[in-house]
Amino acid sequence: MSTTHENKGFWHRFFFSLDHKDIGLQYLITTMFIAFFAGIFAMVFRIHLAFPDYHIPLFGIIDAKEYNILVTNHGLIMVLWLSMGILLATAGNYLIPTMLGTDDMAFPKLNKLSYWFFLLSVIILIISFFLPQKGFGGGWTLYPPLSVGDFGYNTPYKTFSDRFFSSNTFVLLAIALEFVALLMGGINFMVTLFNKRAKGMGLLQVPLLVWMIVIASILFMFSVGPLVAGTFMLLLDINAGTGFYDASRGGDPLLWEHLFWFFGHPEVYVILLPGLGILAEVITTNARKTLFGYKFILVLVLIATVLSLMVWAHHQFVAGVDPRAATVFGILTIIISLPFAGVILSFLATLWKSNLRLTLPMKWAMSAIVLFTILGGFTGLHLGAALFDMYAHDTSFVVAHFHYTLIPVVIFAGMAGFYHWFNKFSGRELNQFLGNLHFWLTFIFFNGFGIPLFLLGLAGQPRRYAGYDHIPYLSEGYLPLLREIATISAVILVLSQFIFIFNFIWSVYKGKKVTSNNPWQSTTLEWQTSSPPPHGNFEVYPVVYHGPYEYNRPGVDKDFLPQNQKI
Amino acid sequence: MKIFPENVSVYGDDIDFLFWLITIVAGLATLIVLFLVIYPVLTRKKHKAKENIYVKGEGFKQLKWIYLAIFVMAVADFSFLIIESDGWIKTQETLPEKDFHVAIVGKQWLWEIIYPGPDGKLYTSDDVKKFNTMIVPQDAVIHMDLTAYDVLHSVFIPHARFKFDCLPGRKITRWVEFTKSGEYPMVCAEMCGVGHSRMVGKVVVLPQEKFEKELAKIYKK
Ligand code: HEM
Ligand SMILES: [Cu+2]
Ligand SMILES: [Cu+2]
Repeated sequence: MSTTHENKGFWHRFFFSLDHKDIGLQYLITTMFIAFFAGIFAMVFRIHLAFPDYHIPLFGIIDAKEYNILVTNHGLIMVLWLSMGILLATAGNYLIPTMLGTDDMAFPKLNKLSYWFFLLSVIILIISFFLPQKGFGGGWTLYPPLSVGDFGYNTPYKTFSDRFFSSNTFVLLAIALEFVALLMGGINFMVTLFNKRAKGMGLLQVPLLVWMIVIASILFMFSVGPLVAGTFMLLLDINAGTGFYDASRGGDPLLWEHLFWFFGHPEVYVILLPGLGILAEVITTNARKTLFGYKFILVLVLIATVLSLMVWAHHQFVAGVDPRAATVFGILTIIISLPFAGVILSFLATLWKSNLRLTLPMKWAMSAIVLFTILGGFTGLHLGAALFDMYAHDTSFVVAHFHYTLIPVVIFAGMAGFYHWFNKFSGRELNQFLGNLHFWLTFIFFNGFGIPLFLLGLAGQPRRYAGYDHIPYLSEGYLPLLREIATISAVILVLSQFIFIFNFIWSVYKGKKVTSNNPWQSTTLEWQTSSPPPHGNFEVYPVVYHGPYEYNRPGVDKDFLPQNQKI
Repeated sequence: MKIFPENVSVYGDDIDFLFWLITIVAGLATLIVLFLVIYPVLTRKKHKAKENIYVKGEGFKQLKWIYLAIFVMAVADFSFLIIESDGWIKTQETLPEKDFHVAIVGKQWLWEIIYPGPDGKLYTSDDVKKFNTMIVPQDAVIHMDLTAYDVLHSVFIPHARFKFDCLPGRKITRWVEFTKSGEYPMVCAEMCGVGHSRMVGKVVVLPQEKFEKELAKIYKK
């Protein structure tokens, strides 16, 4: 239970507050700050690919080494800091206690410590750009042997201080610290769910988002161990000259691939699950229908969680693992698509015959479902077929595939959540016109960027290349045009996010004050308190009588029944 | 408009077929998903009776459509697996009798091609090393020993639909058979440092007789 009850001003609020809502906002701002650079990086290296001679403001003409550094850090930041920072840390911190109808996390101090570790990890990541290598550039997957020495040329570092004060070491330290932060956060989420629910709230009356964040945190805990061990060995290889990944000294580079993907694949579900949770909240509220298959979805997700620990080697079909093992991983990969199909279909069943309201959060949510399923999910079936993966692996087809899984989940579902809860945490409304503009630009130009990448991949364009114009088969026909379309779209896509940042900042200070605490007429508990909620979240702690999604329940005259309202 | 580069290997068609098969099935599923999203949007103001709307999705009766869809999808998925397994076994788990044998070694940033030399055997003292250009006979099974000196690389010959990683410390043998003579690019598909995008070699496929002449020239030098 938190001890401070008075408000102590900005400095206190943004550095020392133990209130989970403040910590959630700290995570949000820190994450957006670092993701801003990842977005700029994408824009810069994309421009370089289509217009190699263009002198990019502040960056100049990118050379191959800088290209690799930009791509690597783009990937690392987007996956490890943005995705988890928004969907687990921000959403978890802000929403779990409010949705559970309680005053705070189970361990507020641990929660604060978790944020400090997160901040430290960001600082160390930033420092990695100011070391002699000017940032790590060996690919976000950090495959040794390249990641052990100077990743540009694979020359070993000479002195200990060269090794320690290298971008390689700092990137790994940043990752390790971020994992510490998320582990502390995850423990808090879990304990809070099991111990601090409002009076009367059964485990099956908990909003799906809370379940999803907790399951994702547990999955994170299960999968991260091997990567921590792997990272430790990689740090030793870099700094102490051991040879865990050095074949000439009895080590094995494939070992890293296994440890990395043992974490890396579950990681995509760690990101996906909270995204699905947000979709469940936004869809039920706007469809004015109870969630179709609450228990069904939970069971499917648990099955998928277990399976997700057994599919990692589908990233290594042609990396030198036994082809018979690849067959097994291929089968499991295909099987894991089935529970997710069930979840998506349950969402679609929720939309069926509904009086749905096409609000801004709903537009984001519905496009998240469509893009994720069609262009992210179905192309996953292509890649899960090992024989086709032999061709498509490490081409732009894969890049397009994972952007169509990650961007709908992180950006589209994330934005659905942001537009949905903004009025709750700020007490103000977002500008609708700017919001719609942001949505449509993002939707159109995301596809303008993603679809050409599929085609380029099918034409055999490898990924992580600092330019293609010198390769004849890749500069024929419509391929350069496709790269230009992808680049122009990517630039507009990234720039449109400034509309959002402007809207965010402007609305926080100048937006219209909300007139209702529950403008969407939603049923879950965070809407049954003031906007923003007071310290401690509720004036009177709610008592729960119903499940989370009682919309249009027969026998009730309003079309929604809050969880804490007796009939 | 051609989607893939021209196919010139014996197993390339299997791979292209697999792609189109999955694409068509996924395309049909796409239509269903789009319908399930767009139809509710178009009819969104019509539903009045609460009994109609309040469905919790519990029990077999309510979930039967979803079970059916999952079942259909499982059938489709496993058909893909069964159909591809032939090609996978052919390309990865079996090595047909060889007609010619070379080693490809990835090295920052070029491909080292090792020919067996006049004795026809690799890894003997008369082996001949060349860089970036690999000549091979047409309509012949070619065994490629893949490895690397420094970091990970990956041999990618798009026209042959062939790709496999080169790892330091391992020698992995895979095969390919070209059906058409010509020159085809061989690029690197695994991040290997600043020259990664410059690691562009080529495969020169020659009819048997011409190949033997060229090979003899290489050995003479
Ligand atoms: C904002 C718009 C974005 C654009 C324009 C963009 C563009 C790209 C491009 C073109 C590449 C491939 C570079 C290459 O192969 O040479 C790439 C790589 C990558 N992107 Fe993005 N991306 C965006 C957002 C995201 C997001 C939101 C995520 C994840 C949540 C993400 C995750 C990644 C990852 C993991 C890689 C692989 C990095 C590597 O190969 O080491 N991207 N991005
Ligand atoms: Cu995976
Ligand atoms: Cu390479």
